[in-house]
Amino acid sequence: MNARIGFVIAALILSGPAWAAPKGQLQIPEFAALAEKANESVTVTLDANLLGMAARFLSNADPEQAKAKKLVSSLTGIYVRNYSFDSDYAYPRGDIEGVRRQLNAPGWSRIVGVVSKKENSNVEVFILVDGEKAQGLAIIASEPREFTIVNIVGNIALEQLNDLEGNIGVPDLELETPKKPPPAKPAAQAKPAASGKTPVP
Amino acid sequence: MNENPANNFEDELRRRLRPVNAPEGFTERLMAALPARQKPVVVPFTPRAARPSSARQFGVPAALAASLMMAVFLGIQWGVHREQLEEQKGLAASQELMQALRVTSQKLDLAYEAVNNPPIAGDEENRS
Repeated sequence: MNARIGFVIAALILSGPAWAAPKGQLQIPEFAALAEKANESVTVTLDANLLGMAARFLSNADPEQAKAKKLVSSLTGIYVRNYSFDSDYAYPRGDIEGVRRQLNAPGWSRIVGVVSKKENSNVEVFILVDGEKAQGLAIIASEPREFTIVNIVGNIALEQLNDLEGNIGVPDLELETPKKPPPAKPAAQAKPAASGKTPVP
Repeated sequence: MNENPANNFEDELRRRLRPVNAPEGFTERLMAALPARQKPVVVPFTPRAARPSSARQFGVPAALAASLMMAVFLGIQWGVHREQLEEQKGLAASQELMQALRVTSQKLDLAYEAVNNPPIAGDEENRS
């Protein structure tokens, strides 16, 4: 009897990751207080259930929605926090740093990092790659009066990500897939590194 | 004398209806002529169950049927309501999804622009 109980407990412990947050999902604060202070705010929290529900209501007739439907079919979550303010740095930069720190975890790679000291803006794009597929995408963009955190979670084939680029207004970042050679395109001036973190001085 | 015919009639009636004693042995003869007294039949009383009134007889099944119908009706209504709620939730989620993709698109656009535009001399920018 005791052995059975022990076995059940061991099974529960071993299956721990089953109820843990999906791989690629960041712990993003709700920023509830900021929504009141912000000039404009976009807060989107779509888990796998809501994404499935949303996908059912996307029309195949609308090309934009059809592409979005195809894209979200393999996703398990989309989380967006976007706030604009009337004054500079009205948002807690510590919270953003907290999110950025989570992207130091193994597996996450920064593919784009732009820091403009002139405009005090910062845009970083991170991707969590596991084998051929991206398990997550994160964007942290901050300006004095605006900040955005985007976290897309799920099995995103890089080809699919390329499909997203330039279709819903998303530009082609010329992401490289590990196996396939990059498409023949004119060389970009600053091609983002798809592997490893690129430190920004 | 009373010559009035009405009085004569009354006198005659009174005379005829005067009480007369029964002849000797009349009672015995009368009793003998009566049939012998029968023993009363005793029928045991068994109270029968009161027959339900028609209202009671059909009331319970009718109430059950009405309850069943009501349950079915409420079930359908609840299903429709739930479907409507899910539809509203789904529409809201799809709008949120499109909004999220737009924000993502804008920010990736920003990164793209910053990465692909050559740095202007004097502008302190780090691109990687």
